[in-house]
Amino acid sequence: MPTFRLNGSRLLEVDIAGESFKALNGSMVAYTGQVQFKRQGMTGGGGGIMGAVKRKVSGESVTLMDCTGSGTVYIANEAQEINLVELAGETLWVEASNLVALSSSVKTDVKFNGLRGMSTGQGLATTVATGNGTLAITTDGPAIILEVAPGQPLCVDPQAYVCHKGQLQQDFITDVNWRTAIGQNSGESFQLRFQGQGIVYIQPAERQGGVDL
Amino acid sequence: MAQLEQLNGKMIGAQITPGEQVFARKGAMLSYTGDVQFVPSTTGGAGMGGFVGRMVAGESVPLMVAQGNGNVLFGHGGFQTKIVQLDGVNNLTVEADKLLLYDGSLQAGTQFLAQNGGMRAVVQGQMTGQGLFTTVLSGVGNAVLLSHGPIFEIPIGGGEVAVDPQAYVAHKGNVDVKLDASVSWRDAVGKGSGEAFQLKMTGSGTVYVQASERKIS
Repeated sequence: MPTFRLNGSRLLEVDIAGESFKALNGSMVAYTGQVQFKRQGMTGGGGGIMGAVKRKVSGESVTLMDCTGSGTVYIANEAQEINLVELAGETLWVEASNLVALSSSVKTDVKFNGLRGMSTGQGLATTVATGNGTLAITTDGPAIILEVAPGQPLCVDPQAYVCHKGQLQQDFITDVNWRTAIGQNSGESFQLRFQGQGIVYIQPAERQGGVDL
Repeated sequence: MAQLEQLNGKMIGAQITPGEQVFARKGAMLSYTGDVQFVPSTTGGAGMGGFVGRMVAGESVPLMVAQGNGNVLFGHGGFQTKIVQLDGVNNLTVEADKLLLYDGSLQAGTQFLAQNGGMRAVVQGQMTGQGLFTTVLSGVGNAVLLSHGPIFEIPIGGGEVAVDPQAYVAHKGNVDVKLDASVSWRDAVGKGSGEAFQLKMTGSGTVYVQASERKIS
């Protein structure tokens, strides 16, 4: 298995010895040794025709490349903070725009989540990662990791949401009233609510886009 | 030699005494105390040759000279800064847009890439958007690099180090730089990995890389 290691908070170093891992297209900043980079044909949404259709429809466009060879690869994206998340057979839901690298042993798929994505500018779908391995998640500013326990639901701003894992049920709540209609809203008309047991990662910055109410 | 001090990740303090000069990116002065003059510089401290070099190079980053007696604060666009010391033995090669300031005691020149790598290097500049000229600093003194996100150093010696041209900031020492293009049919049809061009570095020295692929303007 390739070793994922952080150098500071914004640079990821991955050691490979004849193995491969997946990284965001174009995110390599330097490498030593012999490494090849090849764009993946099928990424997210599973393989085959269905996978291609899902990606097309959902716009969940995480274009990854395979990095294969022996040496050390340095990965960074827009000087954003990088966080390592270990998966041991669990499932991680993550925004495609926050994914920068992952072990080849982790499988990614695209799941639809309807209105939530459309109104928050994140597309209609989210990426689901499963398996054993490591994922490198980027956040705009240091990540804030929040725990959710039964009986204590957590609400987060969809534009600050990054990823979550565990036994969590996610729903989308709106607080649209007459003030929203006349443009006198608080800027917090949509929220994501998590219930159950697990952890949620958010970033201290709000993505732009989506329906601006 | 002007005294430089790293005040925080993004600001540099320079103490200038009479007879000293600091060349800085035009407009990079944030504040100063004392009696300091800022004069636009067309030559970059390299005499007439430098002027011609800069003219031909179409350098898009104008410089100014700070001189007098006082303390000056420098910074630009909220980008990270890093002081690099030159000992007179090793030269520093840096992209013009990633150079915040340098000591007047250093000699600056523009290097035409083709001097090193022939036509291949000319292609390199055009394909990577780096331009055909880079700034070379030599002598004893300090220079300050600018970067988007922190700079990290990769030692060069022994094996080859490959760097994304967009993340490349500068390099120091006796380093041979070569552009490697692994352009395949995938790139031609827009299905490339985004890593078709790499700067391959060999020799002995250090390469400075930023944790981002953004250009500084």
